[in-house]
Amino acid sequence: MAEKSLQIRKAHHLNESAKAQPELEALIADVKPGNTDLLAVLHRIQEAYGYVSPQVVPLLAAKLRTTPAMVFGAMSFYSEIRTEPPPRTTISWCSGPACRLKGSENIRRAVESILGESTPDLALGLRLVQCDGTCAQAPLLRLNGRTRGPLTVAEAIRLARELREARGNGR
Amino acid sequence: MSVYSELPAKANEAWQAVETPPRPRIAVGITTCSLAQGADETLAALRREVAQRKLDVDVVVTGCWGLCYAEPMLEIAKPSGQRVLYQRVAAGRVPKLIDEALDGDGVSNDLALAAIGLTPVEGLPSFESLHIVSLQTRRLMANCGVIEPDSIDQYIGRGGYEGLAQALTMPSDGVIKEVSDAGLWGRGGAAFPTGRKWEFLAGAKARPKYMICNADEGDPGSFVNRTLMESDPHSIIEGMLIGGYACGASYGYIYIREEYPLCAERMETAIRQARERGVLGPDILGSGLSFDIEVVRGAGSYVCGEETGLIASIEDRRGMPKIRPPFPAQAGVFAKPTNVNNVETYANVPLIMRHGAPWYTTMGTEKNKGTKMFSLSGHIQRVAVLEVPFGMPLRRLIDACGGLPEGRTLKAIQPGGPLGGIINAEHVEIPLEPEPFREQGALLGSGGLVIFDDTACIVDMCLYFEWFAEDESCGRCTTCHGGTQRMVEILRRIANGGGRSSDKEMLRLLGDTMRWSNCAHGTAAPTVVLNMLAAFPEEYQEHVEGKRCPAKVCRGLVRYEITDSDPNLPDAAAICPTAAIVEEGGRYVIDQGLCIKCDACRELAPEAIQVVDVVGREAETPVA
Repeated sequence: MAEKSLQIRKAHHLNESAKAQPELEALIADVKPGNTDLLAVLHRIQEAYGYVSPQVVPLLAAKLRTTPAMVFGAMSFYSEIRTEPPPRTTISWCSGPACRLKGSENIRRAVESILGESTPDLALGLRLVQCDGTCAQAPLLRLNGRTRGPLTVAEAIRLARELREARGNGR
Repeated sequence: MSVYSELPAKANEAWQAVETPPRPRIAVGITTCSLAQGADETLAALRREVAQRKLDVDVVVTGCWGLCYAEPMLEIAKPSGQRVLYQRVAAGRVPKLIDEALDGDGVSNDLALAAIGLTPVEGLPSFESLHIVSLQTRRLMANCGVIEPDSIDQYIGRGGYEGLAQALTMPSDGVIKEVSDAGLWGRGGAAFPTGRKWEFLAGAKARPKYMICNADEGDPGSFVNRTLMESDPHSIIEGMLIGGYACGASYGYIYIREEYPLCAERMETAIRQARERGVLGPDILGSGLSFDIEVVRGAGSYVCGEETGLIASIEDRRGMPKIRPPFPAQAGVFAKPTNVNNVETYANVPLIMRHGAPWYTTMGTEKNKGTKMFSLSGHIQRVAVLEVPFGMPLRRLIDACGGLPEGRTLKAIQPGGPLGGIINAEHVEIPLEPEPFREQGALLGSGGLVIFDDTACIVDMCLYFEWFAEDESCGRCTTCHGGTQRMVEILRRIANGGGRSSDKEMLRLLGDTMRWSNCAHGTAAPTVVLNMLAAFPEEYQEHVEGKRCPAKVCRGLVRYEITDSDPNLPDAAAICPTAAIVEEGGRYVIDQGLCIKCDACRELAPEAIQVVDVVGREAETPVA
């Protein structure tokens, strides 16, 4: 909740802070109203920058001939569109039922107690993802998109500790 | 028809090259499932070995046979006609496989699963005779694993786009009649007759009209649509095209969820190829029909799988379901007439047009014709996608998937995603068709079947499903976002030992109230909880009154204790992420204040560490 209100505060100041970058403008150049372009352009920006800076909201609103509120409203609706830079290493935790039945909740607690939800230096982040049907590997974690599973809790703990060591220091 | 006849000429050649390749052909199944199990590494290792050994071999990419548990899978076909399916080919096993399987007509017996095609292979069962395949009728999945999804020629060579060519020779209302005669209904969950839906769109006056394919398969535990898109993408395009012709629609959207990037890639490729061959675009096969398709990628929203939420998302807005009426057939995308069908629904259409309704209705039951794909996951030996005729008892699918884990018994089945409900194991013989599921207060849904054994806690799973529904609620209706939130609070309190006798009535009242929500997300969200109260009253009661979790899952009702000695205790102490296991005077004890109940210690020292009830009957003196 705190995170959401922060985003909203930021969005409030967007009109003032928006400074267009040429490459960003190129990415959004062909956006047109009524052409199902919004999700595609958000994906495009996220692929290029790793996240969608709220600065782009007024630019997109102008392109789509709508208000920044409408664009931000749509953008914030989708859980996979990030408005902050992603961590360098993302540990994705599948929230699906097959994983849940096989102890994913235990894995989440254990990994979170070692790494926290994310480190302030953006080195590591634990993220909830939805089931994509790779349930033969349940319970699973994904390390930068690469599946690890089926995992025991002990294996998940060892993995989390390795990642913490690799980062240099503790939490 | 005449224009279509030119297409298969080249395609037949492509298909011949699959069945009797001029040189050995290794086909690696690359799908989301197999990639999770390292199929990309297997493919890379194969290409490396083939290049290093300078072998005269083709290495190609195919789709999914539906045997998720056996991935990475690959097929080796030889000029002799010998075709062998191999399972669990990890990258490290590639050199040995090549040594043995590419030595003349040799077979690598350790990894061989079955013989496919017409040529029997000594010592190997045929694919069709496998326990997990023999109960299936593979109509929709006929191409899955068999063809290269990136080859339109192989699709055409297997009879693809024949259904379209057939449809184009018929009047458009004749096409709708054929679909209605086949009894096809929507496979996405609502089970609405497809022909009726198409009649609504055909009757709409405004132009343009849109055909939408709902590929937002968001139900966790469902992956049948993914299998189709990744393995046979053209079947969906062909279904949409036939629908477009029948209803007078000129444009289509395929809305694919964020979690399925490979589906989006394969559908894009298929659309491009279809345009190149003139089966998409202006004047399709010289018929005057114009139709094009665009892929839209979602971005992580479950309610975008609800058709009006999906439409809002396509319109660049928040993916919030709309209030009906108007229905999409009157005012859908951009307020124009729109039809939304599920992936699997569209994939059925070419089969109906190609073989006719009488053929289609030879499978299934009195009320439900044809076949249905199901994905089985959870507490099951073999996670898989199966296609069976409607009416097959659920137990047969569970048996075909190798049954439950060793020594466990079936407790419940969760069909149709988080909103589909939970069914007690006593109904395991339930025929797979919508009506018997409805009788149990559940939904057959889109094809996900999650199997629970006796280690599962129903209260915990209900908490999970309600949490999911709460998290994914769009926020429009208070009955939904407030109702799911209250349910989560109550279930969490019960799971933490604070259950009250008034909770049952409260949950029922919430369930009744939530049914007033605008869309299926809110109306169906209480299903699992109401099912729990009806089908698992003892387990619920035990949590509320006895403050005991019989499966020892709910964290507030259990604690971990060291009850014995075990040489592995030092390891258990070392693995503890919160250092809760401490040595005191040569004995290990668990600091209950630190323990997060993650179970890691018990995995390592199962003899010594027990999960015990926090309070409840075990502590009482048993009555003789």
